[in-house]
Amino acid sequence: MRKLERNARGKRPQFYETPGMDEAMSMILVLANELSVVRDRLDTVEKVAAAKGIMLDAEIEAYEPDQATLEARELRRQDFLARLFYVARKEAAELATQDTAERYSKALDDIAVN
Amino acid sequence: MDMVNTFQQHQHAALPRANHDERARQEFTKSLKQFVQQGLLPGLTPVYQTRAAKAFEKEHGKPPADRWDIRKAMVKDLYFQHYAATNRIAQELLWEAVIGSVERQLPELEKAIADLTASNPAPLESDPAFPVPRYVSALDIHCMPGGYASEIDGKDIAQGAIYDRGVYLYAMGYMGPDNDDMGRSVCNYVKRKMPGFQPKRILDMGCTVGHSTVPFKEQFPDAEVIGIDVGGPCVRYAHARSKALGHDVSFMQRSAEDTGFEAGSFDLVVSHILLHETSGQAMPRIFRECHRLLKPGGLMIHADLPPFDLMDPFTQFILDNETYYNNEPFWGAMRDKDQIGMARDAGFPAETIRFDTAPMAIMEFAGADTTYTEDAAEALAEREFTAGEYAPGGGWEVLIAQKAA
Repeated sequence: MRKLERNARGKRPQFYETPGMDEAMSMILVLANELSVVRDRLDTVEKVAAAKGIMLDAEIEAYEPDQATLEARELRRQDFLARLFYVARKEAAELATQDTAERYSKALDDIAVN
Repeated sequence: MDMVNTFQQHQHAALPRANHDERARQEFTKSLKQFVQQGLLPGLTPVYQTRAAKAFEKEHGKPPADRWDIRKAMVKDLYFQHYAATNRIAQELLWEAVIGSVERQLPELEKAIADLTASNPAPLESDPAFPVPRYVSALDIHCMPGGYASEIDGKDIAQGAIYDRGVYLYAMGYMGPDNDDMGRSVCNYVKRKMPGFQPKRILDMGCTVGHSTVPFKEQFPDAEVIGIDVGGPCVRYAHARSKALGHDVSFMQRSAEDTGFEAGSFDLVVSHILLHETSGQAMPRIFRECHRLLKPGGLMIHADLPPFDLMDPFTQFILDNETYYNNEPFWGAMRDKDQIGMARDAGFPAETIRFDTAPMAIMEFAGADTTYTEDAAEALAEREFTAGEYAPGGGWEVLIAQKAA
């Protein structure tokens, strides 16, 4: 398959002073874009089902999750949040174990020699 | 009241067909642009007045005096950074979403376009060795990867297909279902202001895929209509697209600076958003070429965005962001040019040269197309001019001059 050009000629401007912020912002908006695509697709699923007489929208609103479902969803949400905040988790763990940048450098030096 | 923009492009036989998720991805970029204009752009005024201008004054001992000072003040402000970054990313995601879709269906698209080309009897002329001017080849204008002219062989139409879909989203549908509001508005202007004028031969310069060219054939069916552009893939796609819309329009790969047509051979020479994509040297040459091409009494009409001289510095600053952030190198500089003087120097009699407003034709689509509702078309046509929004409210700025009879 022929690959079309994806990069526009011309130096891309940097908008933020904080390094990495331009990349982070573009990644956030790409994720927002995909989330919007999934939401539209789900809407299409509901509309297509409705056209076949299955009122998914109403059934979804009437649906009552049972205990096992409630638990599975709560576990999934907590797991997702833990992944979303993995850098914070790491930071807290470093503080709890007094792991520091100094210890890291010292380890590099030690291992290089010993 | 904010307009709920559900405008959809008319699906013609040359236009790429997005699948479900490609279309959703593309719709999102249009929504994001709409949000940037309606949700973020208005905040720039209070940010400037209450924060950025004061910070500038504190640092420099004087308030910002012109658009360059305002720019210095604003680029340091986080709100502005979010606005400008999001605007840029929306533009990048737009092309990304369109190019992926075109790439997937390129073989079918090439076949459909070859069939349309073969059935359009009007001349098509393109040459892979055509010297593309530097003002088009140096940067990919409005960040469209590959620009107007990149091609792999003398049949390539990919950039034209990308442009047709991409520019509809870029314009957020404000140009109508066939993206032709500018051409339509200029046609209406000519017909209403000069009812006796019946052009027999019409040239549209810098026509890209012929969005604005086709309305001239529709409105002046007996005239020979020719669109020229420096982009080979654009003129090839344009020729097929005009057939897909039911019109036999001629397209040729030529430069507006030196078209190669015979002197005195056109009644009407027009351009739409061409001038700001040329250069300081090309612009006067284009005006002289228009004068050369026209028959005595013939008309030159250039539709572009308004010059800076009547705008306040903050408005100038907002518009000039395109220069810095959207690969539009001549956008700001063009607005400082003396276009009236340039037309006079090209030979047009001073008393015939003027700026005017061609009212937007968008209301003509109201009701005729399901997504162009009366309310949305009216909201679009009756807006005040707001710098940074895609199209001016009310109408397009046109520069007009008439060759001596």
